[in-house]
Amino acid sequence: MKRLDRQSFLGPHSEKALQELTIGLVGIGGGGSHSAQQTAHIGIGGYVLVDPDRIDLTNTNRLVGGTLLDVLCRRFKTAIAARAIRSLNPSARVIEVRKSWHDAADALKRCDVILGAVDSFKEREQLERFARRHLIPYIDVGMDVHETKAGYLVSGQVILSTPGHPCLRCCGLITDERLTEEARRYGAAGGRPQVVWPNAVLASTAVGLLMQMATPWHNKPTAFAYLVYDGNKGTVTPSPRAAVLAGKPCPHHPADETGDPLFDIRSHLAAPHRPARRRPQWLNWIAMLFGR
Amino acid sequence: MKVRFKITADLLESIRADLIRPYAFAHERVGFISTGIAAIGNDVVALARAYRPVPDEDYLNDHSVGAMMGREAIRKALEWSMQAAHASFHVHTHGGWGIPGFSSVDLRENRKFVPDFFKVSARFPHGAIVLSDTAATGQVWLGRSKEPVPIDSFMVVGPGLKTWGRK
Repeated sequence: MKRLDRQSFLGPHSEKALQELTIGLVGIGGGGSHSAQQTAHIGIGGYVLVDPDRIDLTNTNRLVGGTLLDVLCRRFKTAIAARAIRSLNPSARVIEVRKSWHDAADALKRCDVILGAVDSFKEREQLERFARRHLIPYIDVGMDVHETKAGYLVSGQVILSTPGHPCLRCCGLITDERLTEEARRYGAAGGRPQVVWPNAVLASTAVGLLMQMATPWHNKPTAFAYLVYDGNKGTVTPSPRAAVLAGKPCPHHPADETGDPLFDIRSHLAAPHRPARRRPQWLNWIAMLFGR
Repeated sequence: MKVRFKITADLLESIRADLIRPYAFAHERVGFISTGIAAIGNDVVALARAYRPVPDEDYLNDHSVGAMMGREAIRKALEWSMQAAHASFHVHTHGGWGIPGFSSVDLRENRKFVPDFFKVSARFPHGAIVLSDTAATGQVWLGRSKEPVPIDSFMVVGPGLKTWGRK
């Protein structure tokens, strides 16, 4: 018996395809930690884990894999995710970037798909733009808890944004008004409410979209999805907007924006390049044992 | 250094559909793909943007080859590359299944015109691609006076991710 025997329906060569796949996980908090865990179980082989933060006590209500000992040790969220991944796949190719994703551009460019679970609309828009520029499918996950007179509303969404297809702006998730309002509130104290189960539902939905792209199990894989989570009803349904947008080109990210506008092959060839060095396997084992 | 080529499934499908259109005297059609370029460490990735077929009036009536572009076809492609500031990849298809290969005529003709793109757009690598119905292969020039190198890997971005070659 092999570890992945029970998912052989994904396709005859899916184990190899998943092992060769590299995904970027940007934001390894409530949503991203679930995605890291699930993709490790599935057998994805390459990871770029990006998050500048260390775990704190308030994260332990939802960051799966995180422990009180991790809080005491002030472990980076990327280290906790890397530990979870390597405990299932010791030979996984894991790059941790304990900084803003802007500092991880080179590593993220190598990714086949990027999953974003970032907090702000500005970060979402920039990350999607980066992904489009490099023809990388981007899966955005977000959740919110709203207090109303009628009580609390738990909601969220998962959007699969593939180059050429509708984007977060097309979906109405990113708007100038939201960006302006967010900029106005910048620095306001207090974290937004977050809980573990909506994160799990949304991350699972995102991993499902990833799997229908990466393996041939689905008979009608899609390049665009806009799924809405209603935590009060316990449902995930396609947004009504998705049907209107399906098949329409995106006007916000023209195709001629791909690539680096300042690229020059002459200076690229003249620049000194260091050969990439792979971390020895024994270091991975030590990192897994100590979660550093 | 490795060279990768990425293209959306929609664009690739539209190129394949265009290239198999029948022609009055040429046996095959050809066109050009514009691409943006990005560096990934030491590596380079070509990111396909758009496709322009060679217009019917710009083919030469030469039955010794599948299709022969006239000077006007190449002039238009050069002009497009210069004005839009992009890397240019000549494209045609051999049809069939699996990873195709360039014919000796392809290799000879590529060598004649691809380096000319450095005269108008020296910032970018330029090259040529041949498609099959399921895959592609390509060669790229990293400088006008350099020998071409093979494109190491292709990735098709769409509902299903497809890759071939060395990642």
